[in-house]
Amino acid sequence: MNRRRFLQGTVCGLSLLPAGALLEEILQAAQETGPTLSTPRKRLRELGAVVGTLDPGRWNALTDVPGVRVGHTTIVKGEGRGAVRTGVSVILPHDGNIWEENLYAGYFDLNGWGEMTGIQAVTGTGLLSTPVFLTGTYNVGIVYSAALEYLKKTNRSLGSEGRIAYPVVAECFDDFLSDTRSRQVSDLDVFRAIDDASTGPVVEGAVGGGTGMTAFGFKGGIGTSSRVVDKHYKVGVLVMANTGSRSQLRIDGFPVGREIRVPPQRQRGKSIILLAATDAPLLPYQLRKLAKRVGLGLGQVGAISGTGSGDIVLAFSTARRIPRKSSSAFHKLQAVSDFYLTPFYQAAVEATQEAILNALTMAQTTVGRDGNTAYGIPLDQVQKILQKYYGLGRGQGVLR
Amino acid sequence: MTASPNNSITDLPGVRVSHLTCHRDLPSPSGGKALIRTGLTAVFPYPPGKKIRLFAAAMALGGRGELTGYEVLDDFCYLNSPAVITNSFNVGRAYNAVLTYGFSVGRDELWPPVVIGVDDSYLSDSREFLMDESEILEAFREATEGQAEEGSVGVGYGLSAFGWKGGVGNSSRVLDISGLRFTCGVLAATNLAPGISIAETESKAGREDHPHGSLTIIGGTDLPVVPHQMQQVASSILLSLGALRSRGNHCDVLTCLLFSTANPMSMENEGPQVFNVEAVDDSFLSPISAEFEKAAWEAVARSLLKARPVRGKEGREPAAMAADDWERISGKRGRF
Repeated sequence: MNRRRFLQGTVCGLSLLPAGALLEEILQAAQETGPTLSTPRKRLRELGAVVGTLDPGRWNALTDVPGVRVGHTTIVKGEGRGAVRTGVSVILPHDGNIWEENLYAGYFDLNGWGEMTGIQAVTGTGLLSTPVFLTGTYNVGIVYSAALEYLKKTNRSLGSEGRIAYPVVAECFDDFLSDTRSRQVSDLDVFRAIDDASTGPVVEGAVGGGTGMTAFGFKGGIGTSSRVVDKHYKVGVLVMANTGSRSQLRIDGFPVGREIRVPPQRQRGKSIILLAATDAPLLPYQLRKLAKRVGLGLGQVGAISGTGSGDIVLAFSTARRIPRKSSSAFHKLQAVSDFYLTPFYQAAVEATQEAILNALTMAQTTVGRDGNTAYGIPLDQVQKILQKYYGLGRGQGVLR
Repeated sequence: MTASPNNSITDLPGVRVSHLTCHRDLPSPSGGKALIRTGLTAVFPYPPGKKIRLFAAAMALGGRGELTGYEVLDDFCYLNSPAVITNSFNVGRAYNAVLTYGFSVGRDELWPPVVIGVDDSYLSDSREFLMDESEILEAFREATEGQAEEGSVGVGYGLSAFGWKGGVGNSSRVLDISGLRFTCGVLAATNLAPGISIAETESKAGREDHPHGSLTIIGGTDLPVVPHQMQQVASSILLSLGALRSRGNHCDVLTCLLFSTANPMSMENEGPQVFNVEAVDDSFLSPISAEFEKAAWEAVARSLLKARPVRGKEGREPAAMAADDWERISGKRGRF
């Protein structure tokens, strides 16, 4: 019996069979198929579930915002004691040189127990002037340094004339799956992630900075989603999800996590980094407002932003490039009127939920340090549970 | 750069200032007399009949002060109310009067009122006195362009600073960028506790039991600075004036409110979905901050040097500051 069919079987009889016996069987099944199960993973929409009412962009990803590129380096070394499951993800905010041409940005920390470097520059100037890097907690210094190496190589004037860059490097704590203290990330890994960065579909799940992350009692990691506003503007969200416990998990408002009892939860999450991008012309203070709504999206999948969770949001707009050096004294800009921001908030809330859920549904079961195992959320169970709830609704269900 | 014509915040087109000065000797509930030496000063950033709002930024260092309307200033970064400074006990009255005034000129959305509260209880029995809304409204209606009155007037009437008489003052600078001329105007209300900072041993005795001081700066410009730029200018102004603050006094609060008349925005939730905004290049934020700082220092100087002594509560009557006192206190920065 393959694992997929096996799990379907368990879902059907879930309430009738003793959980202990099931648990044994599932653990055994996991061992039989090896440390990284090759069960095909799906995005939330492929399971038939839809969050919200707005349409996603072409890739349903952060990269639907034109010019935004995402790249990963995944680092998997060893088994058991000292095993490393970590990596780096990078977001290149536009297709030019971000240090020479900055973007308006806004920042919001829902709970500050985390790190996002470069934020003093972002909040102090309203500008994002470096790529954004996502990695494990203890890798931040290495990645920061590598980011500066990259920026120095690509900008000859950096470091002279008082021109310094402040890279944005954000982290979550991946120690459950990775021997994170060993910090096995190198400059080269960071450069590789930058080389890997591309537009189009984004690789999700246990990849890049998300390789060792766990979320809502399952394997977490990188997830992304997008929404279209007014048939014209895009709002994209990308997360590195490492937060939440299973009983809190809600999908499209339904308490799905409470009903998934196997495989067992081994780890509560610690943090989540959330990035939002839009091609709509939003000014820095408006981007901060958008970033707050990303926090609402996090709440709608059930996260409570606990004390130990660094829940940090950065939002940027690609609509206007602000040159570091300009020959003109005044810039003619456009901005969305405050009174028309609401659809953008809806887009941010919806895309944030779906990005987090995509991180879960796309992440493979991963066995890491000391044999610690984070299970990919069982997709068949998710489907069954949602079917039940949609069936209970008043014909509002969107499960197809 | 030089000061503009009136060396006043009202050099900014459309900006008006009004003062309400309250001098009363009232029977006190405790038997004696309650000496009321207080007032209110309002800066109207634009003619209030216009249905607009302006980009703004607010920054406060120190927590022992009041700035109503802060949430909108911080989150939406706009100002459409007059900026009112009054004593702490009359913040609510002033707040309500701004609403009444708004209704009276057809501005139901003249909200939120921005009222900054300062503590003038060293000279005034302010807790015994509430202003009449009618007198506040009358003052609002009499807001004038042209050189604003300075010294012991409006909210400045009951203020004291460094042991001398405090007050309100204002100043302005003009700045040329790309052949275009802009004005940076500042109004200051000085109420700093005596202490030992720049004033070192210079400050006068007195007011030791009233350590809750304040320095309030309202600045306006017709330069197209947008909120995240204004925040940088505001922090420059506060850092510069921080030198005046008494060292080792955690009670002083420094407040800076800036607005720009350059990008007036609609208050209607109809109209174009996307609007045009002009923004100065960030490279000009230093010269802009420099002009604002100069105007702010001069506004502070004028608030002190123009203030005439006021005899208030318990016979207190802080002396008027002389030019060489200011010279000693402020050093090079205070020369204009």
